[in-house]
Amino acid sequence: MSQRRVARWPDQVFFVIVILVAFLVIALAFAIVAILLYNSQQSFRVFGWAFLWSTTWDPNKQIYGALPFVVGTLLTSTIALLIALPLSLGSAIFITTVAPRWLRAPLGTAIELLAAIPSVIYGFWGIWVVHVYMDTTVDPALQKYLGWTGAFSGTYTGFGVLTASIILAVMIVPTISAISRDTLAAVPAAQKEAALSLGATNWEMTRVAMIPYSRLGIVGGIILGLGRAIGETMAVLMVIGSSDRLPTSLLGNGSTISTLIASELLSNNGPLQISAILECGLVLLLISLSVNVVARLLVWRITKSAGGAVA
Amino acid sequence: MSSSGTITSPPPAGAPMAEAPMQRQKRGRGGLIAVVAIVVIIIIVLGAGYGLGWFKSSTTKSTPSACTLPSAITLKGEGSTLVAPLMDQWATSYWTGSAITYDSAGSSAGIQAVSTKVVDFGASDAPLTSAQRTAAPGIVMVPESAGGVVPIYNVANLKAALNFNGTVLAQIFDGTITNWNNTALQTLNPGVVLPVQTILPIYRSGGSGTTFIFTSFLSLDNHYWNTTYNKNTTWPSGLPGTAESGNGGVATAVATTPWAIGYVDLNYAQGTSGIGIGSVENPSGKFIHATVADTASALATISSASGFSLPAAGASWYNVSFLNSPGATDYPITSLTYLLVYQNLSAAYPAYALNNAENLVDFLHWVITTGQTWSALLYYVPLPAFIVNDDNATVNSMTFNGAAIPVCVPTGGAS
Repeated sequence: MSQRRVARWPDQVFFVIVILVAFLVIALAFAIVAILLYNSQQSFRVFGWAFLWSTTWDPNKQIYGALPFVVGTLLTSTIALLIALPLSLGSAIFITTVAPRWLRAPLGTAIELLAAIPSVIYGFWGIWVVHVYMDTTVDPALQKYLGWTGAFSGTYTGFGVLTASIILAVMIVPTISAISRDTLAAVPAAQKEAALSLGATNWEMTRVAMIPYSRLGIVGGIILGLGRAIGETMAVLMVIGSSDRLPTSLLGNGSTISTLIASELLSNNGPLQISAILECGLVLLLISLSVNVVARLLVWRITKSAGGAVA
Repeated sequence: MSSSGTITSPPPAGAPMAEAPMQRQKRGRGGLIAVVAIVVIIIIVLGAGYGLGWFKSSTTKSTPSACTLPSAITLKGEGSTLVAPLMDQWATSYWTGSAITYDSAGSSAGIQAVSTKVVDFGASDAPLTSAQRTAAPGIVMVPESAGGVVPIYNVANLKAALNFNGTVLAQIFDGTITNWNNTALQTLNPGVVLPVQTILPIYRSGGSGTTFIFTSFLSLDNHYWNTTYNKNTTWPSGLPGTAESGNGGVATAVATTPWAIGYVDLNYAQGTSGIGIGSVENPSGKFIHATVADTASALATISSASGFSLPAAGASWYNVSFLNSPGATDYPITSLTYLLVYQNLSAAYPAYALNNAENLVDFLHWVITTGQTWSALLYYVPLPAFIVNDDNATVNSMTFNGAAIPVCVPTGGAS
């Protein structure tokens, strides 16, 4: 009995501490939103809702509009996702189904290690290697063969939206690949064997038995990757060219909300600029939040509909 | 990352797999082998690098001053990337008693940091505007060195320095001149075969003292630039080109982008391979390929004009300009770069002890005297005597609790 009494109070202390810490985290999140809201008031009063679709950002004339940066953010992360998706899914499928057993673990770890490279190193690689290669090889070729689409027009420097998207794609591959690999590896052997015993090829087995089973995890990985792409700053800042106008071409310069904040927050052009930058931060927060909400809804619907069909 | 919540997506409820634990263990061992292999490779590369002398420091410590301050502290500074190479040298050479940490985030960031009192000193190549002086009163400006801003370009196979003048530079950067083969550029460079290639301007993102110096020069030489864009620390919006952060970022971008043109401090231009440094026409019609001597002679010419005087401690430096000096050998894009400190230290930093104030003042005195011996080696102009005298007056006017701050080092003029 006495033993039990001794064991009781540390439990309660632990309980209180855990609750405090949990609420502190939530309070911090709310504090951040509150600060952003409070400090962006001035900009909102001056520009109103037009801030969201105005394309002029001119600190020297004190005119601010967020559209170039919102477009830049959505454009770079979408293109990055389009490039990264086949790479990550392909590598995940290779590792779980095709690769010989001894190769699986080293290969998986190597891909995961890509995530451990600091983003400024990616930016460095972007400036010294990717940018030069884009400038001399990729950009001229794109302009020559796909120039008619209009998406690859104008002068190019090797910097710009496309280069930033490619760097981003490499950065989000490990996230998507690792999660897809784990969920693909979790497909029950019985299910795979069933497909094979029905005469399915490796590809058919993957398509019919594995991908539907692990859709949930794959979507989760994609959203996580998208989250990283939307918020990534340093590597993008170093290669995107930091133009403050709407990108007119994928080869042209652009800016994302994160790069705008990083490069202009300390520019000292008065309180209105700071306020406008923080309002952009608020927009970034909303974009991130809605990506998360959409992801959760998607995951929830897939679980619901896939529940009967697969398991 | 905001969306880390979604990582916990377990496979849908189903049969737990008998195979899983074994597989996981295997994977773990293989992963471990990969990690160990990579770590070993890194160690080997680092070891080889050490053997080859990659990491040897080339700076030499100066002998400690005979005068000892009560106790050592860390002085924090932030600002100009233009002066960062010199500041880094100072930080390693300043006597070991106090440590100097300097964050080269750009001149505007330096002004911001000293205004909000998160650093002991700021560094800026642009003088404070009247709005900035009102927002953070009590800051005095101490010119620490002078530098030249030069046009740099990446034009293949071009051995000779290209000639520019203010009007042509303004027209290149505002998009009026778009091709290297332009007639105005050709007129300045008779006999040079200029390529038929689009010019790719590269400028600074965010607020920059180097941008301020460069746009000030363009405003002086080009009426259209002056009336349309004027001088500012932030590059005008809507102009063509690519933005990079910091002097180093612009130099790297120009070096890696054929047909690009940018503007950086002479130190960064000299330290970057694969780029050309342009000569700039001065008011007497000479094209000057910037050197420390040409920049120093610009300071000398302007300061010897009749009626020239420097602002008193605490007054505005906004209208002090060493651009477009009239002498035949003077480099036209010459400017001072400043340290920003508070005059009344006890009022600005309630947490300061007398020791902190003494250390800061000692560092300022050291910078404007002994510190100047490194300037020319790094392509900056050593402060001439008339500026050192003005600096001494400014630093001597600094106070702590209403009293002057004792000075440790000799305060004579630099050579």
